[in-house]
This record gives sequence, C-alpha cells and structure tokens, in this order.
Amino acid sequence: MKETTVVIIGGGATGAGILRDLSMRGVRAILLEQGGLAHGTSSRFHGLLHSGGRYAVGDNEAARECIEENTILRRVGRECVEETEGFFVLTPQDDPAYVDGWVEACDRAGIRAEQVDVAEARRLEPNLAPDILAVYRVPDACVDGFRLVWHNACSARRYGGELLTYHRVTGIEQQGGRIRGVTARNMISGEDVRIACDVVINAAGSWAGQVAQLAGLDVRVSPDRGTLIAFNHRFTSRVINRLHKSSDGDIFVPHGSITILGTTSSATDRPDSTTPTSAEVLRLLELGRPLFPHIGSYRILRAFAGTRPLYDAGGAGGRSASRGFHIVDHEEEGLAGMASIFGGKLTTYRLMAEKLCDHVCARLGVSAPCRTAEEPMLEPAPAGLLKRAAGLFPMQGAELAAHRLGASFGKVVEMMEEDRERQIICECEMVSRAEIEFVAGDPATHSLHDVRLRTRMGMGTCQGTFCSLRAIGALEECAAHLALSPTEDVRQFAQERWKGLRPALWGTQAREVMLSRAVYAATMNLDGAIHEQD
Amino acid sequence: MNRTDVIVAGAGMAGLLAALAAARNGRTVKLITEGVGSLAISGGCIDLLGYVGGKAVEHPWQALDSLEAGHPYRILGRDRVHAALAAFEELTAAAGYPYTAPADGRNRRIPTIMGTLKPSWLCSPAGHAEALASARRVLVLGVEGFKDCHPAVVVRQLKRYPEMAGKEFTSAMIRLPERQRRRTLSPLDVARFLDTDAGRAWMERELTPHGGRYDVVLLPPICGTHADDGARQVLSRALACPVLEMLSIPPGVGGLRLREMLCGELARLGVTLVENATVSRAEVTNGRCTALVTTAPDAERRHEATEFILATGGVLGGGIATEPGRARERICAIPIEMPEDPEQWSTPELFAQHAITSMGVRVDAQLRPVGPDGAVLLRNVRFAGRTLGGYDFGLEKSGFGVAIATGWTAGSLA
Repeated sequence: MKETTVVIIGGGATGAGILRDLSMRGVRAILLEQGGLAHGTSSRFHGLLHSGGRYAVGDNEAARECIEENTILRRVGRECVEETEGFFVLTPQDDPAYVDGWVEACDRAGIRAEQVDVAEARRLEPNLAPDILAVYRVPDACVDGFRLVWHNACSARRYGGELLTYHRVTGIEQQGGRIRGVTARNMISGEDVRIACDVVINAAGSWAGQVAQLAGLDVRVSPDRGTLIAFNHRFTSRVINRLHKSSDGDIFVPHGSITILGTTSSATDRPDSTTPTSAEVLRLLELGRPLFPHIGSYRILRAFAGTRPLYDAGGAGGRSASRGFHIVDHEEEGLAGMASIFGGKLTTYRLMAEKLCDHVCARLGVSAPCRTAEEPMLEPAPAGLLKRAAGLFPMQGAELAAHRLGASFGKVVEMMEEDRERQIICECEMVSRAEIEFVAGDPATHSLHDVRLRTRMGMGTCQGTFCSLRAIGALEECAAHLALSPTEDVRQFAQERWKGLRPALWGTQAREVMLSRAVYAATMNLDGAIHEQD
Repeated sequence: MNRTDVIVAGAGMAGLLAALAAARNGRTVKLITEGVGSLAISGGCIDLLGYVGGKAVEHPWQALDSLEAGHPYRILGRDRVHAALAAFEELTAAAGYPYTAPADGRNRRIPTIMGTLKPSWLCSPAGHAEALASARRVLVLGVEGFKDCHPAVVVRQLKRYPEMAGKEFTSAMIRLPERQRRRTLSPLDVARFLDTDAGRAWMERELTPHGGRYDVVLLPPICGTHADDGARQVLSRALACPVLEMLSIPPGVGGLRLREMLCGELARLGVTLVENATVSRAEVTNGRCTALVTTAPDAERRHEATEFILATGGVLGGGIATEPGRARERICAIPIEMPEDPEQWSTPELFAQHAITSMGVRVDAQLRPVGPDGAVLLRNVRFAGRTLGGYDFGLEKSGFGVAIATGWTAGSLA
C-alpha cells in the first residue's frame, strides 16, 4: 500500500498542472492516469494557445484569462510553444458587421488586435483565399499538448511528485464523510494498488462524471465531441481564424511540418468517443474552403477526435456552454477531502491548477504560494550543449530534441556521442535512436505508442510505416521492458494510425495508407504472424 | 518512325512481364513508365498464395480453386497461371539468376527483419527458406549501424513460432570498415559495398570466425545489387553453410536485382523504354484505343499502337484514382463500383478485408475491361497487376504471383 497526501485523478494538462503546482508547494501528491499521459483531450485538440480573440465577444472574462495565461506560458513553457501569432480573417461569407464589436471586445480584454492590409496578409500567407476582405493580427500561438503535459510532469517529478500512468481508478474510499484513499488497477500488470490519502482531486476532464460516480457523487459533465484533421503540410505559418462568431471548422494551426484544422462540436454521452467519421472530415474540408480554397488537394495525415469536458451547470451544451472552469468542493455534499475541477480549456490549464491548489492548500493549512507562473517548467539545457549536439544531429534535429528533453538532453547527447546511438530512427520528426532508448527507459513507457507520444516518432509523413519497425528493433536490442510482443506492439501502432486515416480514405492519403499496408502485411506478414506466433 | 505493335504502361512486375511476353512473341513493344515501379520497394520474392480467407495455405496450387470466381487467378484459370510462372522460371534461369519453386510444393516461409515468417513461392537462392526449416543451429547476423534490422528482435520473434522449436538461435553483429559507416545506413548501402572486391574481402574476413558453426545464416538483404548471386556465394563459402536474406522494408534490394535482370532482358529484346512519362489519358474510337497520351515536363506526346496493356498499379501505384465516394481507373477513366459513403470503403480493423483493398477494374478472360453487364468496353486494351479487382495481395500474399500471371498472359495475348 502506498501513502500520500493528495491523489490526483487524470493525467491531462489540468492534472499534470496540479501535480506540478502541489509538488512545488511541498505537498506530497500522486497522479493516476488510466492511459498514457495526455491520453484524453489534452492530446486531442488543435494545439492553439488562444490569444483570447475567439472568446472576446462571447465571454470577455474567458478572453482575458486566455491572454494572461498565453503570456505566462510563452515564458514558463517556452519549449512547448511556437510563437507564430495569428490572423483573424473576414471572408465574403462572414458578416462584416461583426468586426467592429470584435475589435472593441479584444481591446476590452487586453488583446492586441491590429489590422493588416489584405495584400500584405496574402504576401505573408499566400495560400489564403484571394477574396478575403479583412485581416487582423493577434498574439495567438501554437502549443504542443503532449509536450506541455510531459514537461509539467517532469517538473513535478523533480519536486517529488509521483506519476502512475496506465492506472485506472476503481474505487474512492471514504469513512465518516472523509476521504481515506483510492484503489486503482494497473492496466498493464492487472495488479490492484491502494493509495491512502487525505485529499482526492478529480481532474479527469471528460471522465470527471464517471470518477465522481465512484465516490457516490452526481455531477453533470457533458462530453462534447470535436473532430480535427491533420494535414501533411505546413500550408500556413500562422494560426488562421475566421473572423466571425465562433463556429465549426474555422481554426487552422500550424505545428512543425503539419497543419491542423478544427473542429466540429457535437454532444456525445461517451468521453471516449474518439473515432472520427468520413462525414465529419468532409464537413471540415467544406468549412475550411473559404479560407484555403485548395484544401481538398492537400494530403491528410490523419483525422482525430476528442471530447471537450463541458460542465453542464444549467443545461447549456455545445458552443454556448461555458469554456470557463468550475471548482467544486464536495464537502458541501458531505464528502470532505474531495474536490473536482470541471470544464476549462487547455490555454488556461495552469490558472485552473493554481485556483484549485490554492483551495486545497488552504484546507490543508499549507501557506506556500503558487510559483508555476514564475518558474520555467524545463531546466534549460546547459550552455554549450546545443553546440556539442549540432554535429551529431541532422539540421535542426538538435534543437527539436533539446526542446523535447530539456535537461535530459545531455544524457541523449552523451549516448549519441557513442557512435552507435546516432541513427535517426524517425526521419520525419528527427528522433534519434538515443532519444527513443532514453524515453523507453522511463517507467511510464510501456509501448511504441508511449514512445510516440513523448518523442513524436511516427507522427510525420510516413506515419510510422518505417520508423515503427526500426524502433521496435532498437528497443528490443537495448532490452527495454515493453508490455507487448514486438508483433503486437507494431500491429497496435499501425492500427491506431489506420483509425486516423480510415475516415479520409481517398486521394493521396489513400496511397500512403496502401503503402503502409503493403509493408506491414505483404512484406512483413504481421497479420499472419499474430495468429502463428505464441 | 517505327511502327509499335504493343504499348505497355507501367514498369512494375506486371508491366515488365507483359512487355517481355509480347516482345518474345515478336511484337514491337514500347514500355512507358512514370517511375521505377513496384520492384524497387519489394524483397523480390514471388508470392503465389499464402492465405485464403485468413487461413494459411500450405499447398498454393491446391488452394487456387478455393478462391472466389472474380479473383484474377480464377479468371485466368490454373493453366495460364502455371504457364506464366513456368515462363518466369525459365526466363530467370536463362538470365543466370534462377528463381525456383520449392521442391515439395509447399509455400516457403521466408524470415523477415521483424522476425516474422512470410509465405512465398518462387525465390532466388537468397530466399530458399528450406535451409532454415531444416537447420538446427541458426545465426542471425546484423550490421552495426543499421536501423532497419536488429538481430535480437529477429531471434526473439522467430522463437515464438512453434515450427522453430528445437532450433538454437544465435545473434551477432558485424562492423563495417570505418570508411563505410554513416548515419543513415540501409541494406542497399552495404549491398553496393558488396558489389566491390573490397567489400567482399571485408565480409569474408568478418564472417570467417563464424564459419562451420551454423547450419544456416540469416542476413539483411545486403548480398550485392546485381542479379548474379555472386556476393551471396562468397559469404556462403566463408560461413560453410547456406546464407538467406531476410525480407526488409524499402528500399528493396532483392526487388532491384530482379528489376535489373528483367530490364536487361527488355533491352536485349529491343523493347523501347520511355521513362519519366505519365500517361494521362487514352484516345478511344469505336471501342478501340488508338493512342496513349503522355505528359512529360516539356510536352504532351501521343503514342500509337494496335494493342495496349495497362499495368499502372492500384491506389498505391497511381493506376486507380480516388476521391470521396468515387474510384476510377485513371487512364481510360473506367468507373470502379464503390459505395458512395466513404465510411463503407473500409472496416475498422486494418488487417481485415476492405472494399478499397480489393477494388479494381473488372475484366474478361482475355483481361479486357468489362462493364457491369459483362460487355467488353475496350477491345484492344488489357489490364494486368493491381489495377485489377478481386484480390487483396496484402492479406493473400499473392502480389507478384498475380502480377506475373496477368502480365505475362496479357503480353502473350497482345
């Protein structure tokens, strides 16, 4: 049996942010996550670090929170953020009367929105439609959700925070109206663990309703499903928003070498409703056309879906439900020591964590202040290391890895300096064998899937067709302890990619998926081997 | 200008065999190709039929009749499939790089760099997996710095097959000379090195300590890029046992060897090769094709002939074009019946049957395209290879078998 002060349920941005915040304040805490980190919504969104412009008219308070947190994250999460800026673009299909109110609302929220000459905007973003009418520049940015969650977790670990991934909570123990502990199942080994604790924090996002039920509480979280498309090209250098009342398919966000288009919005009763459909993909393409007229010819890498954890305070759902967040202390319902955090959005995850930790710390009698807005998450890589690494990596590979790894980058560079670790296993995302081995050595890594989330291996053009086979061999050679057989691990990896491409099985992406299948099935016979190997 | 009897579009296995068959019949042949074709990404083994309905096939010739009626093997009939494969065996033997069938009539089980086994049929000596089946002491050899092949995973994976019980597996690494090492090292790089005397001498030195201690040695596909088996024989002598190459991911060294040999044959037979040209459309009059039009970076060109063979591949090769809810053969714009809802094109499991993985042009017994009513659409056009529907080479392990059978037949009929 383990023992701690606080158990956090949910390994998304909010949960990881809470783990970091508490650990920095000296409160002992363990985070439980049913899958890998960022298994839920924190990895299934467009990766937009909002300036707040999108919410300025509808929810000015949320917009103000966005611009404040946006500014903080550029500082403390520098390695997770690409400072691209964003455009709000008025197309002939949008209502020009909306513009003045929007500009005024941005001003009120403290968001700098500056008009850009249309010709200049099209010079900067030549793929934009020729018939656009007006363009405004805002401080939008791009954020890597996986990395943000991991960097929070790594920072928390340095302060003693503990992380148990692939642990699904099975029970919340209470006695005399007080929290006593949590039971969870290790989804890899099947073992049950019990953790005694004084406080339980429910930060399970779309799953928060289910977690509350375990404690006998009734809370209304209505998961709202959003589907997105990742394209194979970076056809815009900036975040591009439609300048209209927030709607579906009106945000484009560049990430590394790809671009993401989002999102749809539809109610669902299942938090794990993450299989995108062809109808959603076709609809998004149609909605994206006024901004990028050639969108139909761009190769799709994958479609994916996530569920927003909208808090159903009064029955408003979908786009009109609050993007703000709510903290509920369940003592009012007769359970002392349990708090839930609902709703919110990724841009404000840190603020959500701060508010919740302030509340919990007050209850625990801890007076240490929140420092998550001041201290950067990553210890910067030592000076001179990048220069040393430059000769070992191709092109900007050293910088990419340094941003992923922070202080741990030194270990990877040392591994690469031994000749044999130098190979680049994933050429699309420039992930070295050394980095893959390093990540595989983390106790939270159980499969190729986990390696992918940490390193971005297999997220690029080939979608893992080549690198998954290479990585599995490299991992076997360094005796990494993975939960699955190599055949099954690669099959699951390929299956996950298939799930993302099935809804868009036409055009150039269909060719790519046929190549994958030819390699996996016709050459490697993975499909036959699964039935023939013990 | 010389008259052309037969134009073949596509230089994958089906197109090459079609051009060879037509040229050997005395036809004047022009082969138009956009790129290098499927051989460049293949291991070079000829799969005949490995699985039917998810069940492993031991004797492929016996299983041919259990295929559904629309399968290309059934459309051709066993005799023509047999004749095509026999012609391929003869042709490779005459060219000095013989592909042979297993003596016992059972599929070979070829090891891959994933440590899986893949059923296949005609192979060069590098794929004679019988030597693995009968071996007790097996050495799996890797090359330091290769990212595509890791002997440890091969050994661990092979041991998981019941048929490998009782074998002793050893893995070892060899180290390239300093000058040959580089960050990105593929089997093709080492194969090129082994084309040279220096490379062979190095390999001999590296391997001699392992000599006589094993019954078979498995290697990544590094035994030279030429279709002469020379490098493999040197290694086999140094090791005093058979040497097999494992199937690997692209680039396909085994496929490139075979391609070199087949292209050599085409040149010897006087086939005109038009490279880097994309056939964009066919000109059709009264149910007959009169010319194919190619687009090259500089201009459009018309290519006239009396007979045409289209072997431009499926979705992967570019022979079939798709858009949401619609598929058509690209050159003649023959519609391919598919569900309007793209969701129906596939099923949730990657390694299952899908409409998209077996869709293609429907043909008659002469391999001429037919409409839904069975009427011939174009009397002098034949289709070969993956442009055809009715089979899923990924699941069946039948890709090059179908390509050779349909390509050779189409070329013989043209």
